[in-house]
Amino acid sequence: MKWIPRWMHELSSPPVFYRFAGVMRPWFMGFALLLTAIGLYGGLVLAPPDYQQGDAFRIIYIHVPSAEMSLFVYGVMAIAGFIAVVWRIKLAESVAMQSAPIGAAFTFITLVTGSLWGEPTWGTWWTWDARLTSELVLLFLYLGVIGLFHAFEDRRQGARAASFLVLVGVVNLPIVHYSVQWWHTLHQGTTVRLFGPSSIEGDMLWPLLVMMLATKFYWAASLCGRVRTDLLSIDSGKHWVRDLADREGR
Amino acid sequence: MDSPHRYWENGTDRDSEANRMVSPPPVLFEARALLFLRQDEPVFGPLDFHLDRGEILLVEGDNGSGKTTLLRVIAGLLRADGGSMHLDGQILDHDSAQGRLLLLAHQLGLKGDLSPLENLRVAVGLHGCREHITPRDALRNVGLQGYENEPVRQLSAGQKKRAALARLLLLPAELWLLDEPFANLDREGIALVNRVIERHAEEGGAALVTSHGAVTFLHGQPRRLRLAS
Amino acid sequence: MRPGSLRAACAAILRRDLLLAWRRRGDIALPVLYALIVTTLFPFALGPDTALLARVAGGVVLVTVLLAMLLAFDALFRQDLEDGSLEQLMLAPQPLALMLGMKILAHWLSTALPLIIVAPVLASMLHLPGEAIAVLVLALLLATPLLSLLGAVLVALTAGTRRSGMLLALMLLPLCVPVVIFAAGAVSAAQTGLPWIAPVAWLAAALALMLVLAPLACAAALRIAIDA
Repeated sequence: MKWIPRWMHELSSPPVFYRFAGVMRPWFMGFALLLTAIGLYGGLVLAPPDYQQGDAFRIIYIHVPSAEMSLFVYGVMAIAGFIAVVWRIKLAESVAMQSAPIGAAFTFITLVTGSLWGEPTWGTWWTWDARLTSELVLLFLYLGVIGLFHAFEDRRQGARAASFLVLVGVVNLPIVHYSVQWWHTLHQGTTVRLFGPSSIEGDMLWPLLVMMLATKFYWAASLCGRVRTDLLSIDSGKHWVRDLADREGR
Repeated sequence: MDSPHRYWENGTDRDSEANRMVSPPPVLFEARALLFLRQDEPVFGPLDFHLDRGEILLVEGDNGSGKTTLLRVIAGLLRADGGSMHLDGQILDHDSAQGRLLLLAHQLGLKGDLSPLENLRVAVGLHGCREHITPRDALRNVGLQGYENEPVRQLSAGQKKRAALARLLLLPAELWLLDEPFANLDREGIALVNRVIERHAEEGGAALVTSHGAVTFLHGQPRRLRLAS
Repeated sequence: MRPGSLRAACAAILRRDLLLAWRRRGDIALPVLYALIVTTLFPFALGPDTALLARVAGGVVLVTVLLAMLLAFDALFRQDLEDGSLEQLMLAPQPLALMLGMKILAHWLSTALPLIIVAPVLASMLHLPGEAIAVLVLALLLATPLLSLLGAVLVALTAGTRRSGMLLALMLLPLCVPVVIFAAGAVSAAQTGLPWIAPVAWLAAALALMLVLAPLACAAALRIAIDA
């Protein structure tokens, strides 16, 4: 693994990452809160109401960043999972497995907000729209990964097995998406037209971009916290954790 | 074992007659700084040992000292966390190991619904067979004549073990990894295992044998490898 | 005899697993019985309206077959893992993926094939028209091996865990969505007189791909799961 830069190699050592994540986490969280405040103010107050949907469209500022995050987190999980399966690096296993609940939460928020948005605009809470259905399948995939991880007695083995499932899912997700689209055109259900991104005005767009950035920072902060806790529990018998406990316990 | 059959066929030089003249290097298996971790704690190792052709190495240690784990690592079922293993001077891995070593584990790998004969035929299909021996011969040699067609699940624990020993006799492999081969056996069975192992060694093979009890071989004492717990 | 040839090894594994299935033929009947019971329940739940039943028949039979297969998946590696046969298989001088492929084939022959054979009966109980039944059988012939292959990868992943039927269902669902969509799509296209060849071709393409990939993934997954 000579091609891995030295700093990455050092960072993958649990005690180093523990300290690094501890330093970075408050900053990530601070940015996340600040950007969320700006984004929500821009989206809920400054942006003009949509000429068709009125104020109902404003849920987009939660829905779209969450939907984007549900895929983004899966992507991160897949990269970490690949490293975990191939090189068995402890930090990668931890990152992959600790990403799963965050991704599942974003997916769940996407489904709930999509459903809330659907009621006033489409007149129904749930429709078998291609994108919503794919999102539901994604949620099941996240839950399967979490379930498999917890089914093993050995955490690291569970992490590797679940990481493998993540990689299987990477192949599967596009297939699901396109097959669901095909299925949708075949069955000619309620025709749903979300407005295309091109129709978004600048005043409506910038808060959305800010919110997307805010969710990234929130994810980074959340992941730092979760991985820190996870590393402590995996390495609970190791010197660095004992030293830490002695110092903190004083 | 007064059978006329030749059990051991040398794996490295079976391809050409000319090669039979060259005697193979004495060291068959070598472990260098072999290490296995669980929860970052060493289960065994780092271990350095080697096994010559014709040699039996007895792995001793208390329960939980990693004897079984060591055998499973050598068999390639578990991945070592450090060090290296060499078979005939070649690095041992999943691919090169296959077929050259056999494992007799706690779970014998016999199908309860099949007869010993059917089980052996499957093993022969997977591994191939030594020359001049058939599954029936092998079963006779371990004293299972008359039980060839009984379902394995109806055999006693000792008889199951004998059926698994018959597989060792039948399949061509140089290195035997025997995990507690004496367990579940009566005095006669233990003598049988001893004969089988010593025969294998005489014919140029090698065996790594674990045991937590005292073991006496017929001819001399084998080298011992002690695993600390 | 020389170290086992590839063909001899494949034949040995296939023969062994089919023989084992035959020795326990009662287990072969269980998924079929399950499918029969589930299919019988639908008219009770939906009412005996012929037109309604005919409309849902294809989908009902497909999902029923899928669930029946799901019940049988657990047996794929569990026995081999418990009696040590799987370790012996991994030590054999044969490509593990190919050997697992043979196991999957034997499992398909002993669980999915009986289901495909009764599928026309189940479909006609729900008044699916004749030509659609033919397409249903064709779709099942392509979809069930796909499910077997996908399922085998997941069963291999759960091989190191305690019994986990529900978990397997949760893991399999996202993977089998496309299979169900295309198989059911073909049947419903045939029912409405539309061309059904496209979804069947998609299934065939996916099957060709998975025939190569799934045994390899299965072997890799098993090595992870057994590593304890």
